Amino acid sequence: MKPRKDLITIESLSDEDIHTILDSAVAMKEIFTKSVKKVPALKGKSVLTLFYEPSTRTRSSFEVAAHRLSADVTTFTLSTSSVVKGESVHDTIDTLMSMKMDYIIVRHKNSGIPAVIARHCNASVINAGDGAHAHPSQAFLDAFTIREKYGEIAGRRVVIVGDILHSRVARSTSLILRRLGAQVAFMGPGSLVPPGEHTGVARLHTWEEVFTWAPDVIYLLRVQNERIESPFFPAADYHQTFGVTEERLRRIEAQGMSIMHPGPVNRGVELCDAAMEYEHCLVCNQVENGIAARMSILYHLTPGTLSHD
Amino acid sequence: MTDTYITHATWAPGGHQIDLCLAPAAESLDTIVLIEGIPLPNIKKACPSGAMEIPEHAHVIDASGKLLMPALYDLHTHIEMPGRSKRECIIRAGEAAIRGGVWGMLVLPSPAFRFDNGASLDSFRETASVRSAAEMTPAGCISLGMQGLEQAPYNTLAATRGVHVLSDGDDFPADILMLYRAMQYAGELELVFAVRADVPALTKHTYVHPSATAYKLGLHPCPPCAEEIGTETLIRLAEATGAHLHLQLVSTAESVRIIRHAKERGVKVTAEVALQHLLFTHEKIGDYNTVFKTVPPLRDKADCEALLEGVKDGTIDCIVSAHTPCTPFSKKQDFITAPVGMTGLDTFLPALYTHLVEPGLLTWWDLVRACCLNPEGIACPRDQEEGVPSTAPLLLFDPQVSHVVTEESLVCGALNTPFLGQELHGAVTLPLR
Repeated sequence: MKPRKDLITIESLSDEDIHTILDSAVAMKEIFTKSVKKVPALKGKSVLTLFYEPSTRTRSSFEVAAHRLSADVTTFTLSTSSVVKGESVHDTIDTLMSMKMDYIIVRHKNSGIPAVIARHCNASVINAGDGAHAHPSQAFLDAFTIREKYGEIAGRRVVIVGDILHSRVARSTSLILRRLGAQVAFMGPGSLVPPGEHTGVARLHTWEEVFTWAPDVIYLLRVQNERIESPFFPAADYHQTFGVTEERLRRIEAQGMSIMHPGPVNRGVELCDAAMEYEHCLVCNQVENGIAARMSILYHLTPGTLSHD
Repeated sequence: MTDTYITHATWAPGGHQIDLCLAPAAESLDTIVLIEGIPLPNIKKACPSGAMEIPEHAHVIDASGKLLMPALYDLHTHIEMPGRSKRECIIRAGEAAIRGGVWGMLVLPSPAFRFDNGASLDSFRETASVRSAAEMTPAGCISLGMQGLEQAPYNTLAATRGVHVLSDGDDFPADILMLYRAMQYAGELELVFAVRADVPALTKHTYVHPSATAYKLGLHPCPPCAEEIGTETLIRLAEATGAHLHLQLVSTAESVRIIRHAKERGVKVTAEVALQHLLFTHEKIGDYNTVFKTVPPLRDKADCEALLEGVKDGTIDCIVSAHTPCTPFSKKQDFITAPVGMTGLDTFLPALYTHLVEPGLLTWWDLVRACCLNPEGIACPRDQEEGVPSTAPLLLFDPQVSHVVTEESLVCGALNTPFLGQELHGAVTLPLR
């Protein structure tokens, strides 16, 4: 893999880059089985997590990943920072760069912010989710999880269900899976699934169509109420129309399909409780693989080189 | 002060060669010379090339190979640049206009230039008359503070400050009842309501045309129906009140169709399109290029084509620059945070020529109609009614000259032009004396 400074989108990666990062994730995961779960790969390097939006799993996953590579991690807390005083992103970054950070892991509600930061500083910038644009580390952990389960991604069918419009996960994960040869379809309410000519992904309309298409993986997206100012669909309808109900779970079970979800799960909305206990529910595998995928991403980026994004 | 003779110029709208004798700027002539129906001031004589008797030692401009035409009038400019003084904004916009072949412009109200009272209009006119190289006509506010809630003192603005056009910048008034009553009231004062059609509830927090670009960049799409519903609504208001409606920044094919129908049934409506909406589509945004962040957003190719067709058949009366200078820092921010708009004055005529006239999409006559006669007629309607000639000076345009737009070549003080680094054809000589 050629030296690369940032990871902003899946699009900017070559096929070779994608395979390299996925392959190394396997090696990273092996470290977890050892009694000392730490390697000195990033010893002496400093990692900053800069989350402008609330996050539990992505932030802690990156922090654990950085610790396991022996990096020093600083957490920038926004509620007590000058950001609440209206400081521009550029000025915040200038301040942080004078602290000589090697890696900045950033999440922001505005699409496009990580690229702005990446252009503005020498540190390696990793996009941990920007608006509805991209979430590349999630894409890697999803691809890793599917590959681990099925051995190969090419030829697999994955349906992504829910709020496609607001979802950076749908964008990045569908992209990496298609690049790796999977077939992807979207399913969800009309107001939340952009037309196929814009997305390049076929749309299924009902669960009946999903079962007929017979995907290997059903990937449910979280209903992101915090992003939605005015309702896009009647909330009371969602579980019955688009969620995995107990009846649908039985059919999923019968067809041996896997269930994935980027978390956090809204129980009773996207998934019924029983679905979380289902043997092919991969939600916990996703969390574990998230650490390995993020270790691999950190390992393969080179601060101070030219940006590819 | 002596007369200026211009010889062997090609009259752009007609294509034939003419010679002219221009009176000195200080000398104001009562006579109007009509060239192909276009009234022009301060011309002593015009005749086919070669027929002019030129006295010895006269000041002669040999315009061989150059085009002669009325200078442009721009009906949509914002001249405020946050952080810069009002005086500097006026000076730079005036210089930029002259560079781009624009002799006069309608300046829309903005937070710094809040034309909702006599004092701010007086102070603006005073500064502009001294500092600006180009004529600046302020548009009065529709509502106090451009808040869209309470009407501005139209009678004061119109009767004592000579305001002809009312506008709240690019904002659609928040209260439609306020607008309806304003149009009833100020329509009788013969004021023009310049409004951008919109349904704010549908376009709040939206940034791009619904498209593959919107999906790819994860930016909320701005539905074209918002503009179209707004267009229908405004036309109904104009019909009901009899006020002259001027639709600003028309951007969709369907809007053009709606306006065409309204004109057919005699509604007092005129419309403008920004050059950016004729030339560019949403694909230009690429990887969040904030220069191409505009309101309304850049649309599809079919929209560009329909808008151009609208200009040609007269449905769209004017092409405007929608000049909006932004500080370089503000446009370096992320797409959502960055302000909207492009600059357009510096490059206006060369860009129109390079991208529309030279490729044969518009004729010189279309351009003169859409960029000189119509916009001036809307901004200064009384002048025409009373038979006062157009005050547009003439300019010479040399289509043989090309230049690359660079930071140094821009005088407007901002860099948010889509033409930076590009070659544009044509050089403007304005004024001629």
